[in-house]
Amino acid sequence: MRLKTRTALLLGKAIGSTSRALKLGGGSTLPGRVARRADSGFVPAMVKELPLGCLLITGTNGKTTTSTLLASILDKAGMTPVHNHTGANLMAGIASALIRESDLSGQLAARIGLFEVDEAALPAAITDTSPRLVLVNNLFRDQLDRYGELDTLASKMKKAIAGLDRLAVVALNADDPLVASIGTGMKQKFMYYGIDDERYGTDTMQHAADSKHCAICGSRLNYEYYLFGHLGRYKCPGCGMARPATDVAATSVEMLGMNGTRCTLRYPGGTTELTIPLPGLYNVYNILAAMTTSLALGVEPDIVIRAVEEFTAAFGRVERIKVADREVLMILAKNPAGFNEVIRTLTSGTDKKSVMLALNDNIADGRDVSWIWDVDFEMFRGRLDNVVCSGIRGWDMAVRVKYAELMETSIVTQPELDKALDLGLELIGRGETFYIVPTYTAMLDLRKTMVERGLVTPFWEGK
Amino acid sequence: MNIRIGWLYPDLMNIYGDRGNIITLVNRCKWRGIPVEVDELQPGDRISEGRHDIFFMGGGQDREQEIVYQDLLELKGEPLKRQIENGAAALVICGGYQLFGKFYRPFEGDELKGIEVFDAYTVAGRKRCIGNVVAKSALGGPSGTVVGFENHSGKTYLGEGCTPLGMVSVGFGNNAEDRTEGAVYLGAIGTYLHGSLLPKNPGVADFLIEKGLARHGGTVRLDPLDDTLEKRAHDAAVLRARKTH
Repeated sequence: MRLKTRTALLLGKAIGSTSRALKLGGGSTLPGRVARRADSGFVPAMVKELPLGCLLITGTNGKTTTSTLLASILDKAGMTPVHNHTGANLMAGIASALIRESDLSGQLAARIGLFEVDEAALPAAITDTSPRLVLVNNLFRDQLDRYGELDTLASKMKKAIAGLDRLAVVALNADDPLVASIGTGMKQKFMYYGIDDERYGTDTMQHAADSKHCAICGSRLNYEYYLFGHLGRYKCPGCGMARPATDVAATSVEMLGMNGTRCTLRYPGGTTELTIPLPGLYNVYNILAAMTTSLALGVEPDIVIRAVEEFTAAFGRVERIKVADREVLMILAKNPAGFNEVIRTLTSGTDKKSVMLALNDNIADGRDVSWIWDVDFEMFRGRLDNVVCSGIRGWDMAVRVKYAELMETSIVTQPELDKALDLGLELIGRGETFYIVPTYTAMLDLRKTMVERGLVTPFWEGK
Repeated sequence: MNIRIGWLYPDLMNIYGDRGNIITLVNRCKWRGIPVEVDELQPGDRISEGRHDIFFMGGGQDREQEIVYQDLLELKGEPLKRQIENGAAALVICGGYQLFGKFYRPFEGDELKGIEVFDAYTVAGRKRCIGNVVAKSALGGPSGTVVGFENHSGKTYLGEGCTPLGMVSVGFGNNAEDRTEGAVYLGAIGTYLHGSLLPKNPGVADFLIEKGLARHGGTVRLDPLDDTLEKRAHDAAVLRARKTH
């Protein structure tokens, strides 16, 4: 190892332990930031030490769920991944994970790199890690103030993927036209996954739909049905681009509300029945993404399926927390498509629920909160007893909910998250569940409150 | 008296939650007992003379804007302009605002002609203007401000034939130079503000409804609504804008 890299590593290690000792947090990005400043070639040098190479997981929704599941599959398959698993998915997060997993001499116990990266960071991550596999799960509008427009983003990703090694595998969601079109006219090996079942399809696109036009020729796409936002079965009348045939697919999908989803899984060489312990169609895609990736790496289907069944939700994405004789269920929603799917899941039962909608506008959430007007809160009509609007932009959320005209629902606003949590717990009865739908930093803040109250363990002490 | 809204290109021009403006106009009419209808005006649809009281158009991605551009210029532009001269109200946001001006000058290639509702033109800019905006405005209601979120690289300059919607105290506005934000001509408002604009700026929403109703003759006095929540959201957004700049 070069002296420069070694110095950067030691510096990063020192920062990480100091930060933990001072209880400043998990040190999920700072050590990496410092190391990369000391040696700009830090990540490329470190990943060379991984005998099985690197995987990059990207997409607007589901990165963390997908890669946490993948980590557990790869672990079971004996591939020992190093994973940036705390949602710190920029380059500094990758560097920090490498620092954490290596000893002082730069020896890594891990054999494969599993990195979730922001869509916009994909080109830089490809350059730095020369991955053997890239997975793109979906592209939705998310924090456009940070990323620029969706089409521009997709074409930048395509360009970066075109520069991959010829032997690299690219796994794409066949149901997302913008993602699937990344595969047209390329020389790498592509694998596609999707949902081959139209029963949950609708004729109309949700308001949050983002990709209505063919990324190749610009014609308006024809849809046979929509499943989730702009995901569905589509065909371009202009150039003939159509949903590709799938290598891995979920068929006979049966949604069981908050309890998850049952489906039949088809993969090269077999089919199997599967119960997915996570709610919503979006989680079916996350599971398919993780399976496609593992199968592409040669993991035995049996190992993959067992790991999926044992899987508990990734940190903060769906989390159940016991609070005395009540329960809190927290589901992250950070953009219209994800939010709509959460609402669809919350309203799938017959009982009326009490919900907190927590909207922050910190940089990690996106400064612009306009997107809440693309969420179909109207789906909540007649389905809620109480709504508590909270977060830095809690009043914006309150106005959105007012204009959604939720009949027979009591609406209160308390911008301070900890007070809103107390309020919510008072609104429900013993044995009942209070549902919280926060944006990213609102989730972190709420989690911090619950850590302080001893209800949950800090995530950096988890797995 | 009823209100009929013409929503221009609802599928193509709806980025950043612009449809919140339609939701707001519809509810604020409904809550006052004013019957309201929304017609979606897609590419290929013609503008019926005198049918609509308020027009709305949002912003779009570049590709979608190109599709809209031909249709707007060839089919809808002239009649739209005539409706506004005859008293119809309009709200056009971001890309819609630019197309309602005289022209758009890209970095390379020919100027793109607009439909000339506003005496304004836009030139391509290198820097993207992104962030919260607060502007002093006569349409701001009791607070005297409008608040929203801008995200544009085009720089728009106003001529004598229209007035700005407001003067920015936080943010960039039309061109990051003269502090103007948006444009007002008769009942038409163009602006870069998302948010959506109308929910947190009920004064602007009611201005459009009043103008739309006034087309039917007589003096219009809208019944007041309970805007407590809207005002709190407005004030919280103003504070947040000052803090994040």
